[in-house]
Amino acid sequence: MIDALRYEVVRLVTIRSTYWLIGLALLFQLIMSMLIAWQLPESGPLSGGEQPFAALVTIGASTGFAPLLIAYILGLLGVFSMGHEYRHGMIRATLTALPRRGHVLVAKVVTTALVSALAAVLCVVAGWLSAVVFAVGLPTAEEVLSITTGTVVYTVLFTLSGLAFALVLRNQTAAVAMLLLVPTVGESIIKGVVAVIKLASDDPDGTSGVVTILKFLPYDAGGKMYTRLSLSKALEFLGYRPFDAVGGGIVLAVFVGLLLALGSFLFLRRDA
Amino acid sequence: MATIEATGLGKSYGERRAVHDLSFVVRPGSVTGFLGPNGSGKSTTMRLMLGLDRGEGRTTFDGRTFVELERPLLHVGALLEAKPFHPTRSARNHLRMLAAANGIPVSRADEVLRLVGLESVSRGKPKKFSLGMGQRLGLAAALLGDPHTLVLDEPSNGLDPQGITWLRELLRHLASEGRSVLVSSHLLQEMAVLADELVVIGRGRLLANGRVEDFVSRSSLGSVLVSTPDAALLLPALERGGATVVHADAGLEVRGLDAAAIGDAAHAAGARLHQLTTQHATLEEAFLEATGLDQEFRSGGPATEAPA
Repeated sequence: MIDALRYEVVRLVTIRSTYWLIGLALLFQLIMSMLIAWQLPESGPLSGGEQPFAALVTIGASTGFAPLLIAYILGLLGVFSMGHEYRHGMIRATLTALPRRGHVLVAKVVTTALVSALAAVLCVVAGWLSAVVFAVGLPTAEEVLSITTGTVVYTVLFTLSGLAFALVLRNQTAAVAMLLLVPTVGESIIKGVVAVIKLASDDPDGTSGVVTILKFLPYDAGGKMYTRLSLSKALEFLGYRPFDAVGGGIVLAVFVGLLLALGSFLFLRRDA
Repeated sequence: MATIEATGLGKSYGERRAVHDLSFVVRPGSVTGFLGPNGSGKSTTMRLMLGLDRGEGRTTFDGRTFVELERPLLHVGALLEAKPFHPTRSARNHLRMLAAANGIPVSRADEVLRLVGLESVSRGKPKKFSLGMGQRLGLAAALLGDPHTLVLDEPSNGLDPQGITWLRELLRHLASEGRSVLVSSHLLQEMAVLADELVVIGRGRLLANGRVEDFVSRSSLGSVLVSTPDAALLLPALERGGATVVHADAGLEVRGLDAAAIGDAAHAAGARLHQLTTQHATLEEAFLEATGLDQEFRSGGPATEAPA
């Protein structure tokens, strides 16, 4: 197992995409959070506290108006972790050096999770730095910890879902497409369809029935870990009652876990 | 030193049987050529041996399967792909990565890069590598752990004539050190001067496994010209020994027995011999003959297997 971890560490540090993806995430985070901090008022409810800080750390994603950009950038690390193996014919070289496929898989999951967590923490630090530079009032330590944990955990799970897509599909391009489309287009379409069905039903305000599906849209549910306002509230008139941060995080974790389990099942049985 | 023992290897792709109950042995201290027509299952067999493809059967390296080997690069080096590396990771870093997985010091990466002649480009991006350079990097990876066994799929692909000569000398040298070398190739003339032993397959089935000389001598295209004044005495003795005899201008053309066996038969029959001239088939002729039988089998003829 240690050998597999060593292999993955050297793999990550000897490939340029690791650096440009993390660098890109940090650069975007720093520039955008600085821009947001610069625009925040010096007094009033938006001059400091949980909401402005969450907006800086997530560069607006906490409002529910935008996806968590760093997750999307770092998610590519997860796709590349497995996608490069198939795109460049590396998988056979990898498995002749490390024939125990389970070890290869665990090493990829562990290193991908750690690197994305570290990068996400650095992005949070960049958001915190912007707050300090532009004198945005910081929230309580508990609130800082809450938004940091939510952002980091979501990013890690999102990145692992990228790895899982590549594992299942064995095609880097298709995995990137899935990672970008499922959380945005895919879940939005489901929301739209459910809303129409619910509105046309006899009980448009009821909390049961088809609207329950919306609670289990994995990326939307996981987003509750870092959102402090949410467009999802707009659906509440249809009886939609989303999970809280913990519940939403569990939904996303279960989804990613199932995706990884499927990918592992296939990886252990398929030809290399 | 390790013996490779493949037993009952099998693989199907849907309805198509790619490898069928394939068993053979590769002995240490020899280069074993793995021959077969295109699509006969050579690459699939090699992947099955290394546990990369899922199928039937078992291959052991010194009694252990590839997956059971701790740090396998120290035991078995393999080259299976023409360019099995990321295009922007330098050759040295590619080897560093493989070395890290098997507890091999980084200095060994530099050694093998020097050995395969890639030292000057070791820090460049391999996306600009030619096919031959890619093969050399693949060979460097196979040699990284100084393994006792090498499994190489078409390693001479893309190499220039000097490269092929270099590869031949390298593999001969490695075998002379007692290593087991299994190498597939479609270059029969090259294999004739490189291989000590052969595994010949056709349509996923074993056609022959043994020494090159035996394979060639068993070919019906090889014969012994016999000059004797006592043909009437010798002929029944040869036919009793299983030989096929054809009357030629210079005497008898005998197939199915070697010169020693013919000499013994003549002695036993009291026939005088004036000349015995062995006419060997070439490896290429023997191979084409063997795989030609396979073609016949494929078209629905009798299930005849060449002698192993």
